[in-house]
Amino acid sequence: MMVPVRCFTCGTVVAEHWEEFEERAREGDEDPAEVLDDLGVDRFCCRRMLVSHTDLVDVVSPYQ
Amino acid sequence: MASDYDVEFVERTEREARILVRGITPAFANGIRRAMVADVPTLAIDTVRFIENSSVMFDEQLGLRLGLVPLTTPTPEEFGDDDVVTLSIDVEGPATAYSGDLVSSEPDLVKPADENVPIIQLKDDQRLEAEAEAVYDHGKNHAKHQGGVAVGYRHLQRVTVDGDLPEFEEEESQIVRGVIEDDGELIPTSEFGHDLTERYPGKDVTVEDVPNAFVFHVETDGSFAVEELVTRAVDSIDDRAAELEDAVQL
Repeated sequence: MMVPVRCFTCGTVVAEHWEEFEERAREGDEDPAEVLDDLGVDRFCCRRMLVSHTDLVDVVSPYQ
Repeated sequence: MASDYDVEFVERTEREARILVRGITPAFANGIRRAMVADVPTLAIDTVRFIENSSVMFDEQLGLRLGLVPLTTPTPEEFGDDDVVTLSIDVEGPATAYSGDLVSSEPDLVKPADENVPIIQLKDDQRLEAEAEAVYDHGKNHAKHQGGVAVGYRHLQRVTVDGDLPEFEEEESQIVRGVIEDDGELIPTSEFGHDLTERYPGKDVTVEDVPNAFVFHVETDGSFAVEELVTRAVDSIDDRAAELEDAVQL
């Protein structure tokens, strides 16, 4: 629903970078790999946390 | 262990560092690693009282998210071991509640290490108001109390040039990772793309582990700086060794 706070595997705080990643790589047209390198998310366990995430708050909120 | 210690920083930033330690056994190196991961207490939110939560997530889910936010951690001596810190959060939608919205009762000592962690996105008329208590605990009890993340070590590797490669032999890439030592000079392998043929083109080289020299790669979650993590880890080993000595004395 919301982006996980930490990487499941190594425990690095990844949520810190979510909004910038979303803005630059999802809404913008930058290469996600370059954005992640730029943000300093360099292990593949942490990268998959951001790459594979979908925000579901907008989908769920009408059913409250 | 009577041999001489030598500790040297290879790379160093606030939250990440490479540290070369000479003159320790593999067992002790692993002891330090394990102490950094599991035995250095950090502060993390442990109990949350929800006053109002009309967001799309359950109280328990938000409790977990709040717990995982790293908090800056003073030494237990500075603070007193059983002390708790109260943090409160009050955000009204439409807005996103961030870790930076947590208001600490000890703002100078304890505050969220990262301010941009989204806790929950709130829509119109939704509200999150909660009070949380942060306590000290060890990484072995819960990952939220783990100060060091992805801590590991490798042998320091010594590279010696044996001579030139035969003229017509095709060069194959030779990948090493970590830190190499060349004539006493320490070079992180990232400087030459982790490939020895980039650094020594046309040369025949041998790579060997330097006995009892370990390069630690240490990263923290922001609770404290790298030096602080390493010294507290070593102190915790020291304390436990002293405790053992006392316990077995006649």
